[in-house]
Amino acid sequence: MKPGALLDDITARALEFRWLRTALAPASPYGDRIFERIVPFAPGEEAQAEARARRVAAIASGFSSQTLDAMRDVFRNAPDASNAIARASMGDTLSDANLLELQRFFDACVRLDTLTDENAALPRVASAAVVESARRIELGRAGKFGFYLADAFDPALERARSSLAQAQAEYDAARGRATAAIATLLGREVEPNEFIVMRADLNGALPDGVRVVREAPTYLLCEIEETDATLAALDRRDALATAAAAAEETVRRALTDAIREHAAALNAAADAFGEADVLVAAARFTQTHDCTVASIVSEPALHATGACFIPLELELEKEGRHFTPISIAIDDVAVLTGPNMGGKSVCLRTCGFIAICAAFGLPVPASNAAVALFAEISWLGVGADDEPGGLLSSFAREVVRLRDLLKRDRRPLFALLDEFARTTTPREGKALLVAVLKRLQAIGARGLSATHLAGIAPAAGVRHFAVRGLRGIPNRPATSDLHQALESLASSMDYTIEEVTDEAAARSDAIALAALLGLDERVITDAYDVME
Amino acid sequence: MHVDVGDAILRLAQETGAPSLVVVGTGKNVGKTVAMRAIYRAAVARGIAPGLTSIGRDGEAIDVGDAQSKPRLFLRAGTALATARDVLPASPASEMLELSLLQTAAGRLAYARVRSDAHYELVGPPTASGLREAIDTLLHHAPYAIVDGAVDRIAALAGGRDAVVVACGASASPTIDEAVSDVRALVARLSIARYDGREEALRIEGALTPSRATQLIREGEKRAIVVRDPTQIALSGRGALHALERLRVRCEREIRIVAVTVASIGRDRTFEPRMFAHEVASATGVPTFDVYASERAA
Repeated sequence: MKPGALLDDITARALEFRWLRTALAPASPYGDRIFERIVPFAPGEEAQAEARARRVAAIASGFSSQTLDAMRDVFRNAPDASNAIARASMGDTLSDANLLELQRFFDACVRLDTLTDENAALPRVASAAVVESARRIELGRAGKFGFYLADAFDPALERARSSLAQAQAEYDAARGRATAAIATLLGREVEPNEFIVMRADLNGALPDGVRVVREAPTYLLCEIEETDATLAALDRRDALATAAAAAEETVRRALTDAIREHAAALNAAADAFGEADVLVAAARFTQTHDCTVASIVSEPALHATGACFIPLELELEKEGRHFTPISIAIDDVAVLTGPNMGGKSVCLRTCGFIAICAAFGLPVPASNAAVALFAEISWLGVGADDEPGGLLSSFAREVVRLRDLLKRDRRPLFALLDEFARTTTPREGKALLVAVLKRLQAIGARGLSATHLAGIAPAAGVRHFAVRGLRGIPNRPATSDLHQALESLASSMDYTIEEVTDEAAARSDAIALAALLGLDERVITDAYDVME
Repeated sequence: MHVDVGDAILRLAQETGAPSLVVVGTGKNVGKTVAMRAIYRAAVARGIAPGLTSIGRDGEAIDVGDAQSKPRLFLRAGTALATARDVLPASPASEMLELSLLQTAAGRLAYARVRSDAHYELVGPPTASGLREAIDTLLHHAPYAIVDGAVDRIAALAGGRDAVVVACGASASPTIDEAVSDVRALVARLSIARYDGREEALRIEGALTPSRATQLIREGEKRAIVVRDPTQIALSGRGALHALERLRVRCEREIRIVAVTVASIGRDRTFEPRMFAHEVASATGVPTFDVYASERAA
């Protein structure tokens, strides 16, 4: 799953694209290959994007989470047989390990089809080629999951092995007799390979058939010589081993030919298996995060009700807190204001995340949404200047990114500006931001600009949204515990976003927040005095 | 005393109730594979079809490290093994049991069963965790597992329920005294007693390193020094003996050493076999066997 031109690295990081990738990762190497090829749908492909999201949603609603997890197990446990299929196609003879891979892959296909139960949203993977190839190698099934180049494949193989086993037994017997005879003569057990005879234990010469490999002052390192009888048995065994090897290779060749005959169809089955893996991963994501299919609209816009930024939602859940869903309608470029810690950046990230999900043909984390496909989603401002920029200041880095973005001119653009130009003087920052918003309007971009600067919206001629903010001054916790302070803040904050017309109503609640976070009370009092 | 060494060691190992046996060595070419082969033959003679693997590479005709000839493994039908799939002989065909994603020095690991007697090479996982996974999987396919440990890969013993055989030999040390000292240190290290929980203890997270041991000795530490298991004692040779004599080192999980084997024949030197075996037995207090001489040390 590659962002292509949709996101640059900074935007991908700000909108947690890597998290999304991980959350959607398939379980098998077949799925990995398909997943790597996934790119966002481009403007003009609205029908395809929505169709894919509907397909994912149909899988999510058509199967229980247990069934989807069982499918994930099938994908996870399927060995990668692609190399075996490729080797067969190229004329190589498959190894027994390859044949086991294929057998397991065919088993996985059948198991998956059983689980999917002819649900049309998932591809059937056990094609006729899979069934026929599985039938050809089924004779090799050993136990439930193993593979052995069984005698049943070819009577000639059975005969060759039987002869070899007999020759091996004859050699073992001849060798055993020689070893036993020497053991009797020495009056002790001897290793069939090398063994030591202590000179002190030796009463006379070594028995016939014992060869000295190495002499030491107190002992002799010996081995048992092959006799004429054992050598003859060994020759017979080796000849029959060669014949058995040839018979085995003949069977492997025949099985390989059977696979090669269906190679194209088996590759298609492998692709279908991978596609199913990717779809099931997306469906599981959809179930887990309660996503819905967005209407993919051709007119650039993003409307969402009850939208969530899942990475943050999960982080909050870990701390026993809740994400307050966001509702917003963006039909142009708009300004978003509100108090510190009121969720302005989260609103931007939520919108960006939803736009990404829609672009990849996924159901979105919202109760209702209508989203366009954008040519580029771009994040500017807080977070973007974390990048090492050499000699450039934070402000300069922002400007360079903006310059490049406007130069690329990918339309329609979805721009998310988080406190753009906050690091310069308020007067010039405001002027610059107003000008940028006008320019974005002029090129037909859509997006949101979160800012603390006052009067931006009327100056730029754009709509103004605001977070409602604190319902009152939250209670300062008795201790300086940050977790408690955040809980108190969350319970006092109204995260609702609404369009406003009264510029004077915008506030940041910064002093109240500073008090809540434990700043010295004298400083807080002075600050309120200055405000008055 | 002449004995069937493989059978004697196997009996000692099985008496512990351990499902697996690992042969570890004080160095390279100290007879680990010879000992393993003897134990394997004894198992087969008793009607046990064991599972075999190694940490690293073993069973090849030529040592890939030093180009010297090495003992090979001739395995009987029914034996299970965990080895690199690329070193499995094409013929005679083996029954393929499972394919693993674990990597070895010769490619991915495979589990197979010998269907026709043949020579095999063992190339097992190089990591301790990989080896543990391989042993656990082998035990699904075989009633007993025998493992050829690599040179000083003691970490592979951590977390297992193995019986352990320590192999020592003339190849690893220039004199008998040094060979005896080395094996005594290794056995002492691996045999430390289990912490009984009754005495005051200093628990060591991770390894007991030479510098930490030196510091504890210097401070006159009297408490029990508790490590997770003996593989966490990162001391060897005389340094290990010195530290273990001065500190009361204990572990949470014991390792069961059942025997020591001696190989008096080295590549560059030989020791007098009976003297060597006798001194090793006296120094370690563990049943000691000479596989080549088919003897148990008096």
